[in-house]
Amino acid sequence: MTVTVTSPPRRAPWLRTLRYDAGLRALAGLGLVLYAVFIVLPLFMSLHSSLTNANPLYASSKFVGLANYRQMLHDDALHSAVIYTLELAFGVTIVANVIGFAFAVLLNRTNLSYRVLRTLAFLPQVISGVITGFVWETILTENGVLNTLLLHLHVIGQPIDWLGDPHLAQLSVGIVTAWVLSGFTTVVYLAALQSIPQELYDAASIDGAGPSRRLRSITVPMTAPATTICVTICMITVMKLYDIITVLTGGGPAFATQSAAQYIVQVAFTSDEFGYASAIAIALLAISAALALSVTHVLRRREVNL
Amino acid sequence: MTASTLTSSPTETGSASRRPPRAGENSPLRDRLSPLRLILAILATLLFVSPIYITIVNAFKPESDIENSPASPPLHPTLSNLTAAVNRPDQLIQLGLRNSLIVVFCSVILIIPLASAFSFYISRRRTRTRAVILAVLAAGLMIPPQVVLLPTIRILTVLGLDHTYPGLILSNVGGGYFSFAVFVYVGFMRAVPSEIVEAARIDGAGLLRAWWSIVMPLVRPATATVTIFLSLWIWNDFLNPLFILGPEQGQTITTGLYLSLGQMQIDFGQMFGIMFLAGIIPVVGYLFIQKQFVAGLTAGSVK
Repeated sequence: MTVTVTSPPRRAPWLRTLRYDAGLRALAGLGLVLYAVFIVLPLFMSLHSSLTNANPLYASSKFVGLANYRQMLHDDALHSAVIYTLELAFGVTIVANVIGFAFAVLLNRTNLSYRVLRTLAFLPQVISGVITGFVWETILTENGVLNTLLLHLHVIGQPIDWLGDPHLAQLSVGIVTAWVLSGFTTVVYLAALQSIPQELYDAASIDGAGPSRRLRSITVPMTAPATTICVTICMITVMKLYDIITVLTGGGPAFATQSAAQYIVQVAFTSDEFGYASAIAIALLAISAALALSVTHVLRRREVNL
Repeated sequence: MTASTLTSSPTETGSASRRPPRAGENSPLRDRLSPLRLILAILATLLFVSPIYITIVNAFKPESDIENSPASPPLHPTLSNLTAAVNRPDQLIQLGLRNSLIVVFCSVILIIPLASAFSFYISRRRTRTRAVILAVLAAGLMIPPQVVLLPTIRILTVLGLDHTYPGLILSNVGGGYFSFAVFVYVGFMRAVPSEIVEAARIDGAGLLRAWWSIVMPLVRPATATVTIFLSLWIWNDFLNPLFILGPEQGQTITTGLYLSLGQMQIDFGQMFGIMFLAGIIPVVGYLFIQKQFVAGLTAGSVK
């Protein structure tokens, strides 16, 4: 932290400034120290231990160079977790943005009834991932609410094991995550729609543009900044997804729905391989950052071109 | 979800209701289509919130009704699910809500003065200094919790605070939440004219006094945004309390649900009762302060 006390003409005001400002400096400094201790320092400790064989069962850890990073190349469980996480990130991002955009266009009216509906649409975002996981588990489990309803309506002949079959479980996790994020995207797209000047639509109508043309030539380009925000945040959120999966499937069946974040926790706390877990965490951070930056870059260019 | 609020500023609390009516809204075609549109909107919203609807109605239904007609409204309303949830021997709901309230309250009450004072301090520094500090703070928003979790536990062990509430609260105060609060405050403090602060200094007030009596009242909307979002996020936090508190300490509402309900089967009625009670506080809170909530979330994301 830089202490910039501009050199004063006399000594007394300088001392007075120091004394008068000490209280605020102390408070601000305390905040910075805590941030350094709980974010900056841990980040460097993670980087360091990713180069060691740190393990709470060993008395001391040894520097192993890039061995942990090489180990990642041959770790099949890691590969399937990363692939599933990436599939989830892309799938959920697309679905949540399509639903959010469509929902926002549908709800973009100012009458009271629409305002009530808009309030409801954001609710999934308020509820914790743990509660979301449990609620959906009671809905999707084999004798759960969804199967009961579908059996009553004679849509299916026998219950479907939504969380027990590996592929269906992967799909279920995606649906639940998309559900949560759609609440967020709907609100952001709605705010973007409300910032579009009505004159644009009026002028386009006078020029003979129909509803689909107005959607394509005004609504989509004018909401491009919202798309950038929504896509980036959905991606980042899914890349570190932990709570929903942990409660809904626990990563099962047979690790089919294990996310990269869960795998890190498993390696760290079940296998006690702190060094290796740190290396995976650093790699996940790098992948997420690269993904977020490139997506933002592409979408920002799109904002300009549209 | 943090990044969207970063560029918020006091002027951007735009709301929908003040928009003039759309030109097309009065056309005959629109008039004929609008009931259809409303029905479609209602159906889509109801389908979307059906998991929440199912939780609420089934929390008040006897077990047989849940099994036979899970989607119907409570035709034989009962409070037995809620009493079963409250009367659990492990006091899951009471202890979880109490512990979560303590963690949220202590974390937020500490973050607000620290982050606000820090933001005030750096907003008076040169532009380049400020940019460097903000770049370092941005890392706190982007780093996944798994990356810093293990070292954080080691640091808390050194401090003698591992597996304690003060340890969890301290790591909340110094963690990514601090970055979020600083970004919100810095955005608002840019709009505070420096003349006001200088005038106070000429009158003999120290910076601490100027910050507390002049700047803090001016950035009240920032304090509201920070309080709302940090309360919600810390309340819903799962990974940090799970591993920093560990299984022996009393649980927060999220880790308590996971650790006691993940292991065993309980009947649907009690499950819905527990979920209803565990989720009701943030939902009611959101319904009350919905406007500030949405304004804070969308500010800056639509420019």
